[in-house]
Amino acid sequence: MQSIINSIVKNRNLIIYLILSFITFSFLYNNSTLHFNELGKISTYLSATSSKFSSSISSYFNLKKENEKLISENLQLKKMESNYKYTQTKEDTLNSINSAKVIVNSINKSKNIIIIDKGKLDSINLDTGVISSKGVVGIVKNVTNNYASIISLLNTDLRLNAILKNTSTIGSVTWDGLNARILKLNDIPLSSTIKVGDTVVTGGMSFYFPKGIPIGKIINYDNSSLEGYYEIDVEIFNDFSSLSNLYILNRTDNIEIQSLLNE
Amino acid sequence: MNRELIKNILFYTIILALQLLIFNQFKLFGFITPFIYLIIFVHYKTTYDKTVLLILGFLIGLIIDLSMQTYGCHTFSTITICYLRGRIEKNSFGVNANLPSAMIKDTPLFSRISFFLSLIAIHSIIYYSLIFFNINLLSTIFLYAFINSIATFIIIWIISRLISNN
Repeated sequence: MQSIINSIVKNRNLIIYLILSFITFSFLYNNSTLHFNELGKISTYLSATSSKFSSSISSYFNLKKENEKLISENLQLKKMESNYKYTQTKEDTLNSINSAKVIVNSINKSKNIIIIDKGKLDSINLDTGVISSKGVVGIVKNVTNNYASIISLLNTDLRLNAILKNTSTIGSVTWDGLNARILKLNDIPLSSTIKVGDTVVTGGMSFYFPKGIPIGKIINYDNSSLEGYYEIDVEIFNDFSSLSNLYILNRTDNIEIQSLLNE
Repeated sequence: MNRELIKNILFYTIILALQLLIFNQFKLFGFITPFIYLIIFVHYKTTYDKTVLLILGFLIGLIIDLSMQTYGCHTFSTITICYLRGRIEKNSFGVNANLPSAMIKDTPLFSRISFFLSLIAIHSIIYYSLIFFNINLLSTIFLYAFINSIATFIIIWIISRLISNN
């Protein structure tokens, strides 16, 4: 306290000078139109610059909130898209889509599993399809109250029904455990016409995914097989090494179809 | 002490009266108005309190502003030279700066001219910068400040010589 008082006493002339300058400029600002206008311009410029600066800082610190907002908006769009694309023929087949964040992910094993931060308490059910903004990711295999594990497309146990987007040729995609970017598209007969760049989408003949969700595109195929089927390499649209936000598709007709199969 | 105070007040009053009644009406070449009231800050003794000088500068500047309708331009210029006066003294007089009445008697002529001119020029530049308040008129500001400083310096120098002779 004493040092503050000493400092004020030591710099009293500067403090008085600043106070008197402030009084003078107030006098100038309030009485002279020229100075009022010019100082007004300077004040506008300074306030605009400082607002821009503070706004850029606050927007940086609000990135997390903005990201969550975007995810929520994306979720709404996904719902609208799915209602439009997949449920045109049958209302309410997809009754809800939940978003979740990846907390554990691997791509370097033969049976890769992804764990997300949503579980039973968030209405995540077993055997539901999981997608990202770019396409299919996997299927929910285990659910606890707060978490769920997903069998990734990069799991040699998973076989997924698929079709070529612009044809009705049905096949299935599997992963051979070698390259995390490449899947195998099987069961496409040599009689079908395919070309590099064709898009592979879900076929809709499973409990998990409605028809038409992107999986990947053909990058290579071999028609020399003696078994009468192509050997097709499909590049996955998703980059599994950088998955972050996922969407879980809850279909209402899963239980009904399952009960029919069990009879 | 009281006698000195009365003498100083009388001196300030006379100078202010001269500025307000005579020199404010004086427009050489249409724009030169010598600011002879600056002699008060030139002659303010180095032994006197600098804080009092700041307040004195503010009051005198305010009186001049009110009489010339310059809305604070004189006040700001005046308090600025009052605040900077200590540094200007050191620059002009060096080690002799703390001697009483150093600026008037027994100091080199060059130091005195430098001190007078520095105070007057800084005041004029600040004053005309505030009067025009436009960066595009920088050359006009310096031209007016230069001519006015010369006129003010000549008059203040003459008055100083008269005071010191008496």
